[in-house]
Amino acid sequence: MAEFDITGVGVWSSHFPDWAAFCRGLNSGVWSYGADLDPDVIPARERRRAPASVKMAVEVMDQACRMAEMDPENVASVFASAMGDMKITDSMCRTLAVHPELVSPTQFHNSVHNAPLGYWSIAMGSHAPATAVAAHHFSASIAMLEAAVQCFEESAPVLLVVQEGDAPLALEGSCKSDHPLAVGLLFTPAGTTSKCMARVGFTVKPNEIAWPSLPAGLADSYSGNPSGKMLALLAVLAQHSSPETGSSPHGVLEFPLGQHTSLNLEIRSAEPGRTP
Amino acid sequence: MSRMKQITARLGAHRVGALIGTSTSSIGRTEEAYTRLDASGRMTVPYCQPDVHHMHSPGTFVVEATGIAGPAMTISTACSSGAKVFAAAARWIRHGLVDAVLVGGVDSLCFSTLYGFRSLQLVSSEPCRPFDRRRDGISIGEAAGFAVLMRGDLAPGAEHAFLGSGESSDAYHMSHPHPEGKGAVLAMKKALERSSLSGDDIDYVNLHGTASKANDLIETLALAQCVGRATLASSTKGWTGHTLGAAGMLEAIIVLESIRTGLVPGTLNCEQPEDSLHFPILSENTERLVRRAMTNSFGFGGNNATLVFGARGG
Repeated sequence: MAEFDITGVGVWSSHFPDWAAFCRGLNSGVWSYGADLDPDVIPARERRRAPASVKMAVEVMDQACRMAEMDPENVASVFASAMGDMKITDSMCRTLAVHPELVSPTQFHNSVHNAPLGYWSIAMGSHAPATAVAAHHFSASIAMLEAAVQCFEESAPVLLVVQEGDAPLALEGSCKSDHPLAVGLLFTPAGTTSKCMARVGFTVKPNEIAWPSLPAGLADSYSGNPSGKMLALLAVLAQHSSPETGSSPHGVLEFPLGQHTSLNLEIRSAEPGRTP
Repeated sequence: MSRMKQITARLGAHRVGALIGTSTSSIGRTEEAYTRLDASGRMTVPYCQPDVHHMHSPGTFVVEATGIAGPAMTISTACSSGAKVFAAAARWIRHGLVDAVLVGGVDSLCFSTLYGFRSLQLVSSEPCRPFDRRRDGISIGEAAGFAVLMRGDLAPGAEHAFLGSGESSDAYHMSHPHPEGKGAVLAMKKALERSSLSGDDIDYVNLHGTASKANDLIETLALAQCVGRATLASSTKGWTGHTLGAAGMLEAIIVLESIRTGLVPGTLNCEQPEDSLHFPILSENTERLVRRAMTNSFGFGGNNATLVFGARGG
C-alpha cells in the first residue's frame, strides 16, 4: 500500500489557536476563544494587504513546518477550500452590484483561490510548486488524496492546508459554515525523517460511505464547515501526542471522495510501541 | 459526451477521474444573485442553487453529466489552472488511481474579471498585441475545452502523447511576474527534464504572451534560457484573448493541433515586435513539422505551469 508520514500539524480556529490547544481541548473539553491571528512570517508589506483567509492558511502552514523542523523553501503545497475566501466574494459581489468601478485591485488579486499560497511562497521565498483545489463538500478528502499522491509520486514533502471561513448569509446555501477553521499537515515520504507523528497508508475504494464523526464538543461548531472533516483525522493523531494516554495513533478512517468513491487511510505509528 | 460514455463503459466508471481547471467558476451567476438579494440578505429563489455558487460548480456538472465515478477535483490557480490539470491527471494515472482522466479548462466572462483586471489597469482598449512594442494590456476572453488523458497502453490509437510538465512559484508578487522570469525558467526546465528532452528538441512553444507590459518581455528572457534558436515561439492570445483559467487547456489544444497539422500559428496583432525581446517571436503562420511542442501558463500569485506534448511514437 502507498504510504506517507505526517510529520507536522498546524491548526487555527476560534476554539484553538494551535495543536497544543487542540489536544488540551480534546482532553479537557475546554476551548479557548477569540485567538488573535497575525502571523509575522508574512513580511509587513504583504501583511498589510493580506486578508484573514491568507493569514489563517499561512499560520497553520508555518506551525506545521516548525513542528517538523522542515525548511519550507523546497516544499510543494496543496491548498483546499470549498468556497474560497467568502468575505471577498461577498464584498466583491456587493461592490459589483452597485458600483463595479470601485472594485479594488488588491481585493481582486486576493480573490484568486490560490492567493494564500502566493503569499506563502513570497513569505518563504519558495519556488516550489503550489496547487489550490476544491470539490465542494469533498474538498478535504480530495485534498488529502492529492497531497498524498504528490508526496508519494514525487518522493518529496508536501504541505497540505484545508480551510474554510464562516459563511456570509448570502452564501450559506452552498456552505453553512459557522466558524472558521484551518488545518495544516506536512506529509513526508515514509521513513525519510525521524519526526514522524504517524505513518499513513492510503487507497481509494469504489464505495459509498458516511463521513467519520467529529470529536464531541466540536461537532456542533464544525459539522457544517467542509474543512471540519479534518478534525476526525486530527483526533486520531492526538491519541498519540497526549502523554496521559500513552498510546500511539492508530485506526482506519474513511472519507467520501464523492458519491461513489472513498479515501481509505490506515494510520499507525511509525515504530510500534515507541513514543518519540 | 458519447466518447466519454464509450470510455467509462470500457474502463469502468470508477477508473475514470475528472480534473477541471477554472479561475472564476460560476461566479457570474453569484454576481447576478447579489443584484437580487432579499431584504434579509439571502439569495432569492431563482438563485438558490447550492451546486452552482462554489468553486467546483463546473466539476460537479461534468461528473453528473458523464457518470464519472473516480476522483473528481477542481484546480483553481488563476491563469495556470487549465494547464495544471494535465500535470495532476498524469500523476493520478501514474499512481494507478485511475486509468483515464477527463481534463477540462473553463472560464466565462464575468464582471469580477472585467472590472478586476480593469482596476489593475491591465486591460487594453484595443485587441491585444502580444510582444508588440505598442502593447498596452490584455484582452479578456472566455473558453471551455476538454481532453482525455489515458494510460498509454489503453490508448493504442492515440495521435498525441503528454510527455511531461513543470510547475513552480515566482515567490515575488501577487500580480506582477518575477522580473527575471525565475519561476518561468524553473517551470520550463522542469517540463523538459520530465520529458527527457532538451530545449533544442522543442519545435514550437505556445507562450503565455498576454500582451501585458510586464509578462511578454520577461517571458522571452526566460524562454531564451530554455529552448534553442530553431524553436518557433508565438502567442495566440491575439485571436482568443486571455481566457484565464481556460487558457492552459485552450492553448494545449492549439499545440496538439499544430502537432497534428504542421501549421504553427503566428502572433496575431504583433506587427511591430518589441526591439528588446530576448527571443524572436513568430509573427506569421508557418508550416513546420511539429513533433514536440511546449505551452506556458502563468497565473496570479506567481503560479506557473509548462506542459510538453509530442506526436505519439516520435
